[in-house]
Amino acid sequence: MGPLAINEIISENTNFFLAFIIGIGFGFVLEQSGFSSSRKLAGIFYGYDAVVLKVFFTAAITAMLGLLFFSLFGWIDLDLVYVNPTYLTSAIIGGVIMGVGFIMGGYCPGTSFCGASIGKIDALVFIGGLFIGVMIFGLGYKLWEGVYMAAFKGFPKISESLGLSDGLFGLLLIIAALGMFWAAEWAEKRFPREEY
Amino acid sequence: MSETREIKKTRYLNPYIGGVLLGLVLLAANFVAGRGLGASGAIKSTIVGAATVIAPEASEKSAFVKEFRESHQGNPMKTWLVFEMLGVIVGGFLSGAIAGRLKLKVEHSPKITSRKRILLALGGGILFGFGSQLGRGCTSGSALSGMAVLSLGGFVTMMAIFGTAFAMAYFFRKNWI
Amino acid sequence: MKPRVLLALFIIPLGLIIAAVPQNKTTPFKLSAGELLSEATSRSQFVTPETVAGMIVSKDPSLRLIDVRNPDEFEKYSLPEAINIPLSELLSEQYTDILNQDIKMNVFYSNGSLTANEAWMVTRQLGYQNNFVLEGGLNYWFETIMNPEKPASTSPDEEFAKYDFRKSAGMALGGGGAVQAQSSQPSLPVKPAITGVPKKKKAAGGC
Repeated sequence: MGPLAINEIISENTNFFLAFIIGIGFGFVLEQSGFSSSRKLAGIFYGYDAVVLKVFFTAAITAMLGLLFFSLFGWIDLDLVYVNPTYLTSAIIGGVIMGVGFIMGGYCPGTSFCGASIGKIDALVFIGGLFIGVMIFGLGYKLWEGVYMAAFKGFPKISESLGLSDGLFGLLLIIAALGMFWAAEWAEKRFPREEY
Repeated sequence: MSETREIKKTRYLNPYIGGVLLGLVLLAANFVAGRGLGASGAIKSTIVGAATVIAPEASEKSAFVKEFRESHQGNPMKTWLVFEMLGVIVGGFLSGAIAGRLKLKVEHSPKITSRKRILLALGGGILFGFGSQLGRGCTSGSALSGMAVLSLGGFVTMMAIFGTAFAMAYFFRKNWI
Repeated sequence: MKPRVLLALFIIPLGLIIAAVPQNKTTPFKLSAGELLSEATSRSQFVTPETVAGMIVSKDPSLRLIDVRNPDEFEKYSLPEAINIPLSELLSEQYTDILNQDIKMNVFYSNGSLTANEAWMVTRQLGYQNNFVLEGGLNYWFETIMNPEKPASTSPDEEFAKYDFRKSAGMALGGGGAVQAQSSQPSLPVKPAITGVPKKKKAAGGC
């Protein structure tokens, strides 16, 4: 029963090795979908390339459905799967800062590694920036520790806070995502650009 | 009078297929390790690792390192994310090699210079690095993996990232289009 | 057919199914039937009243007595510092941390040992450790500790030592009988060691 590493069905070293393999899959799919190009990534914000939207939501939905069905079949214990904690203040402020970084740099950490691996120098510079940013955060940690730890709400799920079951929320998300996909296709036709 | 422009298409995977594949990778990560994908955590690991090697006493006094140690005992570099990111580099390279996209270049809009692009990438990286620590994750770890497990925090971070980027898009438009 | 449409055709039915089907909340059994049978018949889950009395008197902090009877019976009489978890509420989420842990020694007790043993079986099936059953329950407790029977004069010294111990423990716990000077302390039955529960560490995730 999954998760394999937590139920000690596989050893820690096997877990790390599989992390490497999963990483290869991650990087491969990202690059194949075009996430190694900052111009494609930024395209969603100008309408000409909705690859981020399509891949992101399709992936989230696929994984979500996968987890829910695995749980239904008794193949995974969802109580043992990590759910990101909710620290409202820092989630929002951090997200805003990341948003600016995104529209400026056109990358996020995962995609920047992808871009760097195929030779994009701007991606490499972005990674350098990441290190600097993390260092600044670490060195001045005392200054923002308060904000970082504020408004801890535990590990709530969206479905819980809306009072819906996981499955029902999943369905709503699917419908919303499909709506966005159709809107995205329309936008791409409206603002065509050469493919990067 | 409309000109029929030849829209040059590079050989990328269909995004929906890519999305399904990425979702399967994410599912595998959750099934194997009980956690989703991530990226910025590997940077944090590296920084903490380097700090403990370069300045051991100072790092052990640092609150940041202490917070890191709460969830990671042992070698800071021996974490799931570090191994994963090494895989990402290999995977991206393989994909680029197969598709013939391996090329050392600075990718930028023809309307700006290479130099400007590099500066923007640097600035963006610094902001993103800082923000990812505050937000406890980046788009892969918080937004994508968070959505898959229906985490409220992940969802909030995702909305903040994309909402802000959309809002700021107008001010940076000259650099992209 | 466009991939988008194909995708939609796939995920909409899946979404409908997952929304309609109730979640799988079953907790898997950790022990096989054979394993549970051998543990149950070995009677290793039982602790004697002497052991428990000794722990109470010496104020051993690792003891936690759990009364599995109804709340009214609990109100009428309960052992010192015992908490009440009626058998019918044993699986309620609020008690999971009490029953599934490795710090204290939980001892179930009821009037006899039937209900307490049932509690033990259920929790053992779930893989919980460090739960035990008071042998003989409250009935035997009263017989031995609170009103210990003086052994016949032909009984071995051991019996007298046990009697003395029970008497003094009973006194300490509010039972009747005078305390006799003890010549030798009986060796208390060794109290079971607390088994460490492997902490199921949730994955540290996020970035």
